[in-house]
Amino acid sequence: MHNKSSGSVFQLACALSMDGVAAQWDFNCNLEVDLGSEENALIVYTALAVDNELQPDKVKRHMSVSNGKLSANFEAVEARFLRASFSAFVDVLTLATKTIEEFGPKKE
Amino acid sequence: MKEKKLLALGFEGSANKIGVGVVAIDGTILSNPRHTYITPPGQGFLPRETAQHHHHHVLPLIKSALETAGVTPDEIDCLCYTKGPGMGAPLQVSAVVVRVLSQLWNKPIVGVNHCVAHIEMGRTVTGAVDPVVLYVSGGNTQVIAYSEGRYRIFGETIDIAVGNCLDRFARVLTLSNDPSPGYNIEQLAKKGETFIELPYVVKGMDVSFSGILSYIEATAEEKLKNNECTPADLCFSLQETLFAMLVEITERAMAHCDKKDVLIVGGVGCNERLQQMMRIMCSERGGKLFATDDRYCVDNGAMIAYTGLLEYANGASTPMEESTFTQRFRTDEVLATWRDKESANA
Repeated sequence: MHNKSSGSVFQLACALSMDGVAAQWDFNCNLEVDLGSEENALIVYTALAVDNELQPDKVKRHMSVSNGKLSANFEAVEARFLRASFSAFVDVLTLATKTIEEFGPKKE
Repeated sequence: MKEKKLLALGFEGSANKIGVGVVAIDGTILSNPRHTYITPPGQGFLPRETAQHHHHHVLPLIKSALETAGVTPDEIDCLCYTKGPGMGAPLQVSAVVVRVLSQLWNKPIVGVNHCVAHIEMGRTVTGAVDPVVLYVSGGNTQVIAYSEGRYRIFGETIDIAVGNCLDRFARVLTLSNDPSPGYNIEQLAKKGETFIELPYVVKGMDVSFSGILSYIEATAEEKLKNNECTPADLCFSLQETLFAMLVEITERAMAHCDKKDVLIVGGVGCNERLQQMMRIMCSERGGKLFATDDRYCVDNGAMIAYTGLLEYANGASTPMEESTFTQRFRTDEVLATWRDKESANA
């Protein structure tokens, strides 16, 4: 019954790098999620783009959509901020994805 | 032909309850399921764990709300959510779900002030027209009256909410948090026989509870150990003291605004002893007390749906990029456009 194309298979490409270009934003992390369709990816992007990072001086988040995939890039000044922000993001991303699976159009 | 009534789906998740309700513009509640995050005795609820609880329950609640109401998403006119005040992470759950559903179903969003929603729910359920409102819950304590377009705060707590004071005292006694700590205090208080003197802290139109809590926390253990009193006596004394303070500031607001009736809303509003004390004061002033039971005074989705629908019917909605949530959102920030029309029609 689930919409196959919006399967919540997270393709996680998470790389922690400590040798970033800008000395201040030393901690980086990338996340790419295949949402099955451009439409779903845009819905999730739009829903999550509304909330700004709580500490913009400590964590920066950049999101983009291409080919049905949502990419998020995190840059932080300390590992703990990166972890908190990334973890909170994954929680709401999961919620948005599950909402689409549950209430989105049931396509073949 | 009968015109179709406007319908709203409302989401509330600002504290430890997640609720989804379907309401019609005339105030008919078609469904109002909710789920409460109950922590073990002696423990309060923390933002992250509470948000996890909401994550877990929100989607089944939507299904249940729609099924019970017998409506399809097509028939819903707007999606309402609690914009604030409340805890950040739990608030975000409703906001994110509503943003996704708004795109899937192509429906407008309405962000709602939690405090105003309590007031409007109380008014529609009880039929109170223009009361002084006492809003008492785990997070808020305010005496409110409508004046010139807004719900104005005439008195409030200057530190913690009355419900927070009760909840935290329940932790001292390790009372159960099921169904709520306040309910268990109320039951135990009925067995109280001796009144223990506690600080009484009214400052003009405002009240303060944190000193009372510190005092009772500091003295309870010793008093209980020496058999000077029972846990029931402490619950009884705490309730009597806190509620007397609330009745005092409510009465002062009534005299100030020249209003005769009182409406009690918010989770602490189901306390029957508080209702009884307030009823006595109102009857002495020739007025009436309006109060509701736990279905409506405790946080629920229907109150958000109904208040959002009032705003929507008056032409307001929240654009996607503004559908944020905020921990601080005062009652008097909202322009109560629908109240203006009510008084014009009266």
